[in-house]
Amino acid sequence: MTGGEAGRELIRLQDLVKIYDTGSLRVLGLDRINLRISRGEFVAIMGHSGSGKSTLMNILGCLDRPTLGHYYLDGTDVAEMTPDELSAIRNRKIGFVFQSFNLISRMTIEKNVEVPMIYGRVRPAERKQRARELLETVGLLSRMEHEPNELSGGQRQRVAIARALANRPPLLLADEPTGNLDSQASVEIMELFARLHQQGVTVVVVTHEENIAAYTHRIITFQDGRLISDEINEHPTPISEHRGLSGRMS
Amino acid sequence: MLIENMKMALSALRSNKMRSFLTMLGIIIGIGSVIAITSIGDTMRRMFSDIYKDIGVTQGFIFIGYWIEDERESDYFTMDDIARYKEVFGDRIAYADASASLSGEIRTRLTKKKFEFTGIDYNYMDVQPVTVRYGRYLNQSDIREQKPNCVMEASAARDLYGTENAVGRTFRIPVNGTMTEFNIVGVYEKEQSAIQKLLMGTGNGTGYGYIPWTLLTHPNDTFYQYHYFADPSMSEQELTEFNRELCAYIARTKDRKPEDFYLQTAQSEMGQVDTMLGGVSAAVGGIAAISLLVGGIGIMNIMLVSVTERTREIGTRKALGATTRDILIQFLTESALLSAVGGLIGVTLAVGLVSLGGAAFGLPVTIKPGVILMAVGFSALVGIFFGIYPARKAAERDPIIALRYE
Ligand SMILES: Nc1ncnc2c1ncn2[C@@H]1O[C@H](COP(=O)(O)OP(=O)(O)OP(=O)(O)O)[C@@H](O)[C@H]1O
Ligand SMILES: [Mg+2]
Repeated sequence: MTGGEAGRELIRLQDLVKIYDTGSLRVLGLDRINLRISRGEFVAIMGHSGSGKSTLMNILGCLDRPTLGHYYLDGTDVAEMTPDELSAIRNRKIGFVFQSFNLISRMTIEKNVEVPMIYGRVRPAERKQRARELLETVGLLSRMEHEPNELSGGQRQRVAIARALANRPPLLLADEPTGNLDSQASVEIMELFARLHQQGVTVVVVTHEENIAAYTHRIITFQDGRLISDEINEHPTPISEHRGLSGRMS
Repeated sequence: MLIENMKMALSALRSNKMRSFLTMLGIIIGIGSVIAITSIGDTMRRMFSDIYKDIGVTQGFIFIGYWIEDERESDYFTMDDIARYKEVFGDRIAYADASASLSGEIRTRLTKKKFEFTGIDYNYMDVQPVTVRYGRYLNQSDIREQKPNCVMEASAARDLYGTENAVGRTFRIPVNGTMTEFNIVGVYEKEQSAIQKLLMGTGNGTGYGYIPWTLLTHPNDTFYQYHYFADPSMSEQELTEFNRELCAYIARTKDRKPEDFYLQTAQSEMGQVDTMLGGVSAAVGGIAAISLLVGGIGIMNIMLVSVTERTREIGTRKALGATTRDILIQFLTESALLSAVGGLIGVTLAVGLVSLGGAAFGLPVTIKPGVILMAVGFSALVGIFFGIYPARKAAERDPIIALRYE
C-alpha cells in the first residue's frame, strides 16, 4: 500500500483551536492541540462523548477548518486551501470511514467503491479493476452487484473501507467505525484495519471502547476539547493470523 | 466524466419514475404542442402552396371595382384590349383570357349531366398542363374563328358516351341564348393532387371541358374580367411589381384610377393564408412558451426537493473528493436530461398524433427533422436554465454540514 517512508511525519497540529460559533453561544470544540502522527502509525482517539473526537477527525479529514492554529498534512498547511483544493486533498490523500457508512443508495457497491476514482479521473477500465480488487480485499467480491441496503451493517462498513482505500490514500480516518456494529462485526473491522496498517497505511480510529482501541499501537485521549494523554500501546491485540480476509469475512 | 454524469442522472430519474414523469409533463405538453402546431402549420402551408401551384401562382384577375357606380362600357375588356396588353407587356404575360365560362346541361342517350366549360386560349396548356388522351387540344384557328369546338375531360366523356374516346361526337348547349352545336375534338385527363381531390371532391357530378374563350363574349363583344398568368420565372418581388404595373396601365387606358379596378392575385391570397397561419402559430407558440415556463419551474421545484433529499449524498460525494463543479454538473445533467427526455416524449407524441391525423385525412404530413432536433435541444436548455439554481445550491453545500444533515 501507499505507506511511503514509514516514520516520516504525516500530520502535524500546531496550537490548533476549533470554536463553534452558533450565534448565541460559542463552544470550544478543540483547545490548543499539538500533535504529530507519522506515516505508518495505527492510532486510537478516545474520550467521553463531547470531548472533541469528531471535531478533530473532521479537521484531520479536511472536512472542516480549524479556527486558529495550523494543520500540516504531508507538509502543507491545509488552512490556506480553497474548497476545491481541499476536495482534491480529500480525494487523494485521505480515506474517510463514517460511523453511519454513508454509502450511496441506488448504486451497486462496486459503483460506490468507484466514486472516489471517478472524482480522481481514473479511467473506467482501471476503476473497475481496482474496485474489484478492493472488494476482494474486504471479502465482498461476490456481492459486487448488490446495493448497500441489501447488506448487513458490518458488510456495509467493509464496503465503506474499500471505498476509502480506492485512491490509495496515505491516511485512513475512521470516526467510530464500529459504533453501529455488534462485537463480532467490530472485531472484523478492527482486524481489517490492523491488516491495512501492516500493509503500511496510516490509520486513525475514534472509539470509546477499550477493546477496540486495544488493536492500535498508540492511544490518544481527549477531554473537554483538550488532549489529556498520549500513550504507546505496548501489546496490541494480535490479529488472527490464519483467517484470510476474504475467507473469513465473506 | 460526462458519461458518468449521464449514468448517474439516468439512475436518479429511474429511481423516481412517477415523479420524473409528472415533472416532465409541462415540458411534454409544451414541446408537444410546439411540434404539433408547427407541423400542422407546415403541412397546411404546403397544402395551400400545392393548391396554388395547381391553380397557378402567377395568376391574376383584373375587373372594374364593384364599388364603382358610374360603370361605363369602356370599363369592360374587348379582344383588342387583351391583345394590346400582350403587345405592351410581351413575355411578362404568359397567358391571358377573359375568365369566362359556360354552364349547362348535356343530355345523351345514356344520361344527362351538368357541365361547366371554361373559355380558354389555345396555349392554356402552358399554364395548366393536361394530358390529351384522344384527338387534339384547341388550336389557334379554333380561337380566332370562334369555332364551337370542345376538349372534354375524360371521365365526363365516359359518363356521357360510355367511352372516353368521344372525339367526333357532338352536343348542343345554349351560348348567350343561342342553341349551339359543339364538336368534341379532344379528350384530356388532369392530374389532381391529394389535397385538390380532398377539397374538390371527385364526383360531384359536374363535367368539365374547354371551349374557345372567344365564344363567350358579353353582348357588344366585351368581357367583364381580364384573366392572366404572369411569366412563372418572375421573382415574388417582380411579380408584385408587375401585377401593380399591369393594373395601373389598364386603368390608365380606360381613363380610370388604378384603385378603381379590382386586382385579385393568387400571390396576395397566398400571402393572406400565410399571415393567418403565422398568426395561429404565434398564438400557439405563446401558449407553448408559457407551458415550457411552467414545466421549467416544475423542474426547478423537483430539483430543489431532490437536492434537499440527497443532502447526505452530496456531503458524502464531497467528502470523497467531488469539487463544487463536479456536483454542479451532476445536478445540471440531471435536470437537462429530465427536460430533454420530456421534450423527446413530447416530440414523439406530437409526431404520432400529427401523422395519425394526416393519415386519417389522407394528407402527406410535413415534419422537419430540424424542428425535432431544435425542440429536444431547447428543452434540454430549459432544463439547464431552471436547473442552475438547485444545482448551485447543491454544489455550494459545505461537506461537513451536509454530512451532519439528518
Ligand atoms: N456543529 C456544531 N455546532 C456547535 N457545537 C458543536 C458542533 N459540533 C460539535 N459541537 C460541540 O463541540 C463539542 C465536541 O463535539 P464532538 O462532536 O467533537 O464530540 P465527540 O467527542 O465526537 O463526541 P461523541 O463521542 O458523542 O461523538 C461538543 O460540546 C459539541 O456539542
Ligand atoms: Mg463523535
